[in-house]
Amino acid sequence: MKPLKLLALIIIPMGIILAAVPADKTRHFRLTADELLQEAGAGVQFISPDVVADMLVQKDPLLQLIDVRTPEEFEAFSLPGAINIPLSNLLAEEYVDLLNQDTRTNIFYSNGSVFANQAWMITRQLGYENNFVLEGGLNYWFSNVLSATEPAQTSPNEEFARYDFRKSAAAALGGGSIVSTEGAAPATAAKKPPVASKAKKKAAGGC
Amino acid sequence: MGPLAPYEIISENTNFLLAFFIGIGFGFVLESSGFSSSRKLAGIFYGYDTVVLKVFFTGAITCMLGLLLMSLFGWIDLDLVYVNPTYLTSAIVGGVIMGAGFIMGGFCPGTSFCGAAIGKIDAIVFIGGLFIGVYGFAFTYGLWEKLFMDRYLGEPKVSESLGLSDGLFGLMLILAAIGMFYVAEWAEKKWPRPEY
Repeated sequence: MKPLKLLALIIIPMGIILAAVPADKTRHFRLTADELLQEAGAGVQFISPDVVADMLVQKDPLLQLIDVRTPEEFEAFSLPGAINIPLSNLLAEEYVDLLNQDTRTNIFYSNGSVFANQAWMITRQLGYENNFVLEGGLNYWFSNVLSATEPAQTSPNEEFARYDFRKSAAAALGGGSIVSTEGAAPATAAKKPPVASKAKKKAAGGC
Repeated sequence: MGPLAPYEIISENTNFLLAFFIGIGFGFVLESSGFSSSRKLAGIFYGYDTVVLKVFFTGAITCMLGLLLMSLFGWIDLDLVYVNPTYLTSAIVGGVIMGAGFIMGGFCPGTSFCGAAIGKIDAIVFIGGLFIGVYGFAFTYGLWEKLFMDRYLGEPKVSESLGLSDGLFGLMLILAAIGMFYVAEWAEKKWPRPEY
């Protein structure tokens, strides 16, 4: 009888402790800092603008562009088919299903890549998959994809191939008809000319 | 931090080495609890000896408490711990066969090896039957495959299907086990069998 009482005295309090604490109390994040640092260092989150442009031209149904800038900026201009999730609202209940899923390819973008990267880091730490960042952000998108500059005659063939692709992608994407959000559509068309003029001095900025 | 092998903190071979030592420990506990005696084992079905119930339930509860506490401290990721998938039909059929064999033979697979290790002839015969069953099943697998794979439920947990938290279900299980232990000790006094 004695050992049974001892056993009961030890394990019942432990059971009460376990029943009283929330299950995942100590684990807010799915990834450790080390793992996250490794992923961020390797740059696995980046998707190159050419890939995104190609998906847009092909009308890839699995592509989901997510604009993490403010709603005002989103109104002024957005990529075709993009939705707006301002960074400050990223953790809102209504977006969880959108961000935590395993079918679509979510691509965050902002003007540069800082805010998009922050969005990626937060979602990645929560253990969400399939979220990526548009490499270089909208600025790079404008200067290199939508207004590609002809490479020098001595450039390797790949440069020309990329140039041709970007030209045709820009033609396909710049038409303005692809944009589904009506509010943004005219803005896209309006924004285009200044970009084209900016392209002249952009020659030095190529990677 | 854990589980150790899936996180590759220890290699596959180290994992086997640890399993080897844990296996020896398991065998030691079985033997020292008297599990190599088929009369003692069969006692659970007649009420004169309930050591089987006590040892295995204590083992299960200790393991459960350890895992839940380690998960609470962030030492182990329970999502990565292997859970046997549930095939309901084969679990029921297999449970009935196993139970019938347990009553008739007086051993379960683990304790039969325990008994064989100390030279019990009935345990050795039991192991012979065990291998006949294993090979018989393997060579006629095609006949059973449909039954074997029937009613696949994934990896359900009792706590999940009851809608309780793991900790609360754990507490209930502990209370149930302690209650059963008291009933078991009462049964041992009620149907005593001095010599076996």
